[in-house]
Amino acid sequence: MLEITSTPLVLIAILGTVGILLPIISIVRKERGSNSFYAVIAFAALIVSMGYVGYQFINENVTPSALFSEDVIVDDAFGGFFAIAMLIVALFTTVGSFNYMRKHNSPAVYYSLILLATIGMVLVAYSTDLVMLFVAWELMSIPTYVLVGFMKKNPSSNEAALKYFLFGALSSAIIVYGISISYGLTGSTNIGEVIQGYSTLDPSLLPLALLSVGMFIAGFGFKMGLVPFHQWLPDTYDGAPPPITALLAAATKKAGFAATIRIVILGMVVLHLDWTLALGIIAVMTMTIGNVAAIMQKNLSRMLAYSSIAHAGYILIGLAIAPHSSLGLQGSLYQIMNHAVMKGAAFIAITGIVTTLAVTHIDKLKGLGRRMPITALGLVISLFALAGIPPLSGFWSKLMLFGGALDAGSVLWWAPWLAIAGVLNSALSLAYYGWITRKMYFEGETEKRVKEPKSVIAVMIASIIFLVGFGVYPEPLIKFVELATPVISLGIMP
Amino acid sequence: MAIELMGFEIGTLSAWLVWILPFAAAMIIPGIGKLSKHATGFVAVGFALMSALSAATMIPVALEAHELHHQIMWIESLGLKGGVLADPLSIIMANVVGWISFLIMIYSTGYMKGDKDIPRFWFWMMFFIGSMQLIVLSDNLLQVFFGWEGVGLASYALISFWYRDKKKDHVGTEGRTVLGMLDYYSPTHAGMKAFIMTKVGDVMMIAGMLLIFLFAGTFGFKELMGDTDWATAMAAQGLLVPAFVLLFGGAMGKSAQFPLNEWLLEAMTGPTAVSALIHAATMVKAGVFLVARIGPLVFALGAAGIMADQFFEIVAWVGAITALLLATQGMVNPEIKKVLAYSTGSQIGYMMMALGVAGLSHQYVDGYTAGFFHLISHAMFKASLFMAAGSLLHIVGSRFMTDMGGLRKQMKKTYAFMWAAGLGLMGAPFITTGFWSKDAIFAAVYESGNEWALPLYIIAVLTAVITAFYTTRMIGMVFFGNKSKHIEKMEEEGHHIHEASLSMWIPYGILAVLTIGVGLIGLSAEEGLHHVFTDYLEHSFGIHSAHVTEEASILPEFLQGLNPVALGSSLVAFATGIGLGYIFYIGRWVDPVKFVNSNIFFYSIHKLFLNRWYLNAIIYWCFVVAPLWLARGVFRYFEKTAIDYGMNAGVQKAVGWSAKVIQGTQTGVSQSYLFVFGAGLLFVVLILLM
Repeated sequence: MLEITSTPLVLIAILGTVGILLPIISIVRKERGSNSFYAVIAFAALIVSMGYVGYQFINENVTPSALFSEDVIVDDAFGGFFAIAMLIVALFTTVGSFNYMRKHNSPAVYYSLILLATIGMVLVAYSTDLVMLFVAWELMSIPTYVLVGFMKKNPSSNEAALKYFLFGALSSAIIVYGISISYGLTGSTNIGEVIQGYSTLDPSLLPLALLSVGMFIAGFGFKMGLVPFHQWLPDTYDGAPPPITALLAAATKKAGFAATIRIVILGMVVLHLDWTLALGIIAVMTMTIGNVAAIMQKNLSRMLAYSSIAHAGYILIGLAIAPHSSLGLQGSLYQIMNHAVMKGAAFIAITGIVTTLAVTHIDKLKGLGRRMPITALGLVISLFALAGIPPLSGFWSKLMLFGGALDAGSVLWWAPWLAIAGVLNSALSLAYYGWITRKMYFEGETEKRVKEPKSVIAVMIASIIFLVGFGVYPEPLIKFVELATPVISLGIMP
Repeated sequence: MAIELMGFEIGTLSAWLVWILPFAAAMIIPGIGKLSKHATGFVAVGFALMSALSAATMIPVALEAHELHHQIMWIESLGLKGGVLADPLSIIMANVVGWISFLIMIYSTGYMKGDKDIPRFWFWMMFFIGSMQLIVLSDNLLQVFFGWEGVGLASYALISFWYRDKKKDHVGTEGRTVLGMLDYYSPTHAGMKAFIMTKVGDVMMIAGMLLIFLFAGTFGFKELMGDTDWATAMAAQGLLVPAFVLLFGGAMGKSAQFPLNEWLLEAMTGPTAVSALIHAATMVKAGVFLVARIGPLVFALGAAGIMADQFFEIVAWVGAITALLLATQGMVNPEIKKVLAYSTGSQIGYMMMALGVAGLSHQYVDGYTAGFFHLISHAMFKASLFMAAGSLLHIVGSRFMTDMGGLRKQMKKTYAFMWAAGLGLMGAPFITTGFWSKDAIFAAVYESGNEWALPLYIIAVLTAVITAFYTTRMIGMVFFGNKSKHIEKMEEEGHHIHEASLSMWIPYGILAVLTIGVGLIGLSAEEGLHHVFTDYLEHSFGIHSAHVTEEASILPEFLQGLNPVALGSSLVAFATGIGLGYIFYIGRWVDPVKFVNSNIFFYSIHKLFLNRWYLNAIIYWCFVVAPLWLARGVFRYFEKTAIDYGMNAGVQKAVGWSAKVIQGTQTGVSQSYLFVFGAGLLFVVLILLM
């Protein structure tokens, strides 16, 4: 049984209570509360949650990454790692919305939904039961549908929400279908027992088991933005309010990875079938299509949306080679943490640009380095970190990913090609990252400095410290990743 | 016990502070510069003093031949650590660097007064000192390399400090060409030249480092010494000597050793304080220090049966060639700073020769001490000479010695100090540090008992003669004879030739006095150093030094223990050099110009030396003109055609076209998205079934 002080339960308690209370307060106060009042409460709740997770880690009160558990959720380092990544993004989003939400109504609901979605994401990472996972998945998804369409009067926001919802519903259906097949085959929804059942499955039923794996890949692949399940993504990211895009790109995407690692990667090792190649092919497709499409984009949020598709591809490299190289999975987790900060910061920078200058077209970003120096610096650093330029944090995670792929080359003949594709794609991605940089710093001459939103500045500074700090001294983060990465071997059975 | 523990802690902290403080100063100087340009000077001098004091607190550790070694993890997964290693070698070096830099900083407050870019100057000076101290106190090669590159960067920025390329900041004679190459350089050109030439060495160094890392899996000096399996493995593949020689390549670049020596002359475009710093305390000494750092390791490996004698032979010969080559050029150059620059390269050659010869003899510590002692004494007198030369430049307003002359009455202090420091450079017997250190080098070479001992010894003595000659020439041309036309013109225009300001003459005065002062007790100073290094080498590297009981020689009581042959050669070399110099430049009994033109032999030798043995021109032809020519050809016939019209346009079109195709699928119509989604699901399941 889980103790009452275990991290997931405490997070539910804190975030859930505050998340539900916010609208009630707003009603009690007859909706007179200012934006910053609710933002501060949400911010405090997130900080406390983050503090609790961190406190548990510092006290070494965390079990090593447990793969399976008899309970529906488990309090392990893997979940904690994801919880921290997601809470960072939720914090970025909340702080980044300070200024953005001044111009919009019902802030209480807005922040409440962010908190509820955060619970969902965190629980996905902690779940060890398919039904629990699905409930958490929906808890994460439904608030984000609303948040994407939060600008009621804005048609593109509405279109984005509708598309997102449509595909979300489809993917949920597919996941449920997958769950039902696996339940039918094994008679259980506990992931550990499902795996156990699969390993002793009658060979004639194997295709059904495969179908369920395919369903999971497709269903979670929707959130991760894998090609070919990605098409909703640019439209949605572009239409959604920019801080919410940060939440989608940097956090909910990661929930997809958490679920995939929990089910597909850890679980299906026992299934004697080669799903690694499938993930490898999807990884290469995803990064290539993401980067190539991003190159010709003129709209900053769309460009970053494609870049975030490409990054799903890099992360997937580690997943594809996970059974053969522990370095690969570590690289994936590392990249997930980095990407949460890098993409979060980049979209919050866009939030700042949109609230101050109301532009997202790249040609309009001329001279941004002079107009909004700190925002521009934060954006450039996150872009360079995304490209994996040393000495920024993004370099180390890519190094681990590609290094893992090369390591796995002794077992999988095609694994080094993943590294080659990854390196080529990183080079390709510099084309558009560099282009934005050029626009911001080397073009335009007459721009005057404008006032930058303080909240955006705060996020920029925090992310610069993170990216540069862990870039120069990556040791603590590497240690953390090593702690959180589950060890995969055929021996681990529930 | 607790105090000892405390002492250890404080000592370790000092080792970190010595190099962190200058960097910290560099970090805050730009900010302070916004508030007050004047204040930056105080910050720089203050931090330089604190850094030097931190170095001084470690001296007791060195005297007891202890060492402080403190490491922190940097990137554990790759086995990379950062750390400080304060052993006698690095502690002595840190003090030399720290205190001489401090004096140079004081001098700079006077020399750079009124320059409007002064914060930039202080920033780079502090960065320079910090990088050098980082090299000195690092416990591993990688960290050394960071400092190494920092030094390179700072030297680039300081050599081209006056980047507006005004005529007065150039070096060389305007319009003079050698083999069609201009022998006249602007500050920006000089900075670039220094940066690129030393970079050649740096590339070799990083190659050597990585080669060693590949086998040893560590960059740490202690770790490399601790377990020598890597050396056995490397020696088996014949890679050990190449790796060390590649490391020495880095030292050759930084220390301006042949054939990477040509940048040193143009480096004179920087402010004179920078020249003093480069030549006395930082940059060029870094190479010598690196050889002193790895030399004992190589020797200890040799003692353990893993021979790498070729390394020492190369070091000794490179040093010897450089010593002679640059000394000959110093005899004829008309610019005072260039004469000093040639002399630096030449003296560094001496140090390299000593460190190389050390490895070829049985008494490693003799040559080692000699080389390092020469480094210390050279640091003192060369810093002093450079600062004095800077004062002359400042007051006369010309870099040419032919524009000076007869200054001894007006600049009495500078005159006296320049004599004192100059005598150090010449190796004036018994009273100067230069004499004792040079004599020690002679003795080490002579006693090494190596097959190369004789030729190396002849070169060493010959160079000493030349050194004494050109130093006398320099002093004679500047302070003796009649006033030059330039000075007469200045005085007509109402400029008064006067002594340099207090903040300027005090630093070089101190060093000049020290040159003589330490020189008076030079023999015991050398013995002390010898003792420290004997313990150090035995303690850290297991190199035993045989205790030689000297037989009573024919020398008088106070000189017992010296090698009579070496002593005799020093005396003769000094007397010959200064005598010749006196004839031409102080007594002025023979006109040097007429003498050179008197016959074709002297004329051609003079021309060869003045044209830098044509080496500079040849380097320019081979590595600047030829590549440029090739590049133009490639640009015209390959880049313009194959790349621009083929590759670039092709790749661009292909990517653009693919992007269009992908964007074409992004219709915005949900039905088509759903279709792709479904197809994707099918695709995944099909791959799985495969």
